[in-house]
Amino acid sequence: IDSGDTGIKRGFRKAQRLKASDLQLRFCTNETQAARETFVAKLQRLGFDILVSEVFSPAPAAAAVLKERGLRPHLLVYDGLLPEFDSVDQSNPNCVVIGDAAEKFTYQNLNEAFRVLTDLEKPLLFSLGQGRYYKETDGLKLDVGAYMKALEYACDLKAEVVGKPSPTFFQSVLNDMGLQPHEALMIGDDLVNDVGGAQRCGMRGVQVRTGKYRPGDETHPAVTADATVDSLARAVDALLRQRQQTP
Amino acid sequence: MMEVSNMAGRRALKAVLIDLSGTLHVEETAVPGAQDALNRLREASVAVKFVTNTTKESKKHLLERLHRLNFDLQEEEIFTSLSAARTLLEQKRHRPLLLVEDSALQDFTGIETSEPNAVVIGLAPEQFNYQTLNKAFRLVLDGAPLIAIHKARYYKRRDGLALGPGPFVAALEYATDRNAIVVGKPEKSFFAEALSNLGCNPNEAVMIGDDARDDVGGAQNAGMLGILVRTGKYREGDERKIHPSPHLTCESFPEAVEHILKNML
Repeated sequence: IDSGDTGIKRGFRKAQRLKASDLQLRFCTNETQAARETFVAKLQRLGFDILVSEVFSPAPAAAAVLKERGLRPHLLVYDGLLPEFDSVDQSNPNCVVIGDAAEKFTYQNLNEAFRVLTDLEKPLLFSLGQGRYYKETDGLKLDVGAYMKALEYACDLKAEVVGKPSPTFFQSVLNDMGLQPHEALMIGDDLVNDVGGAQRCGMRGVQVRTGKYRPGDETHPAVTADATVDSLARAVDALLRQRQQTP
Repeated sequence: MMEVSNMAGRRALKAVLIDLSGTLHVEETAVPGAQDALNRLREASVAVKFVTNTTKESKKHLLERLHRLNFDLQEEEIFTSLSAARTLLEQKRHRPLLLVEDSALQDFTGIETSEPNAVVIGLAPEQFNYQTLNKAFRLVLDGAPLIAIHKARYYKRRDGLALGPGPFVAALEYATDRNAIVVGKPEKSFFAEALSNLGCNPNEAVMIGDDARDDVGGAQNAGMLGILVRTGKYREGDERKIHPSPHLTCESFPEAVEHILKNML
């Protein structure tokens, strides 16, 4: 939505038509700069019919995992995301959680996170997504995955990814809809994290040629989308046409 | 792989490579006894060279500090990963975006930097901010080679451990799906270039350093012997992280020199 591509907004509006059909609709995002309430409110102001309960993002999923496992995080996240962790005990941290912190990814902040990890007997790093980069109106920008790799390399550990493309994340969405993987389809611009992640779960994945799509994706060595379409609008058109045709 | 440590006794040692930060000194404090140990080493008939991945400082800066700490050495005896990077840039005629500390820029004078078509990353905390890293990322994504002066994970500062350039190189490699060209330790090419004007083979040389992977592991991988010292960034158990393990692990530089004088000449 933020990439500045108005075609995307058209597509999103079309996606609402899916709600009128017999298809269930959920929004899976690795958005980690803003809390759900905030970006859902923004989308609603832009005229989109979307509810917080329809949105799955990494932060609430991470908060749930932390509480389940009795973990207290040192957070390196964008200020806008902090409310998602209000109910989590952050004293005396025994793990680190990083999200897309953008300008907060300063050397000092990364160093602090690094020191927390190296001081722990059992260093534990959660990354809210593992995207390599994303597109904004003023160009391509490094995503949380790059900084996750930085800390992984510095501490010689592997992060636990919460959010796309983690199978646990997709599974939690399927559970919410009461569906089996083969009954669901993921549409996204990120070949590896949207399409690849969904496919690894047993879902079908469709890539749209917007946002972070690059032509090289169509010959990617590891992930082959079940279909590649120009836009979300086209994808929705195709889906609805198919529903009408199916007896 | 040869059990290098068994061959120690009969080896004719011709050169000793010595790491600087963490081995001879930690910031503005010399390792106790290191100055005398260096003098004793010079009295033996071995060539001595100081090799460092330190990228925050030019050779002149390094020399000034070492002289302040009463170490006896000359500028020509210092070989840095910055020198190795410069050689590469000149060979390929790259115009680099230099992510290096201001104090290190001295070693790149004369290299054209307008309209960059390469990215050089050293230890540059001031440059490792979101905006500058994005700039570097976009260049590399568009095809610019990524040259890493070295990939140290962290180094020791007075106030504790601090991230080295390695994590930021890893971040860019991941984001662009490209591999960096590394010119510093532990690359074989670095050690080969360090020995090139000393007239000896790697198996006639020993490296002394505080970084198990970059100093000792790298040197041994290049065919030298490695002595790991428990100063600087050393942490308990580091000697078990490399294979083969260090030829020797000892307390500090003076003990390493004693061992060389007694057993390796």
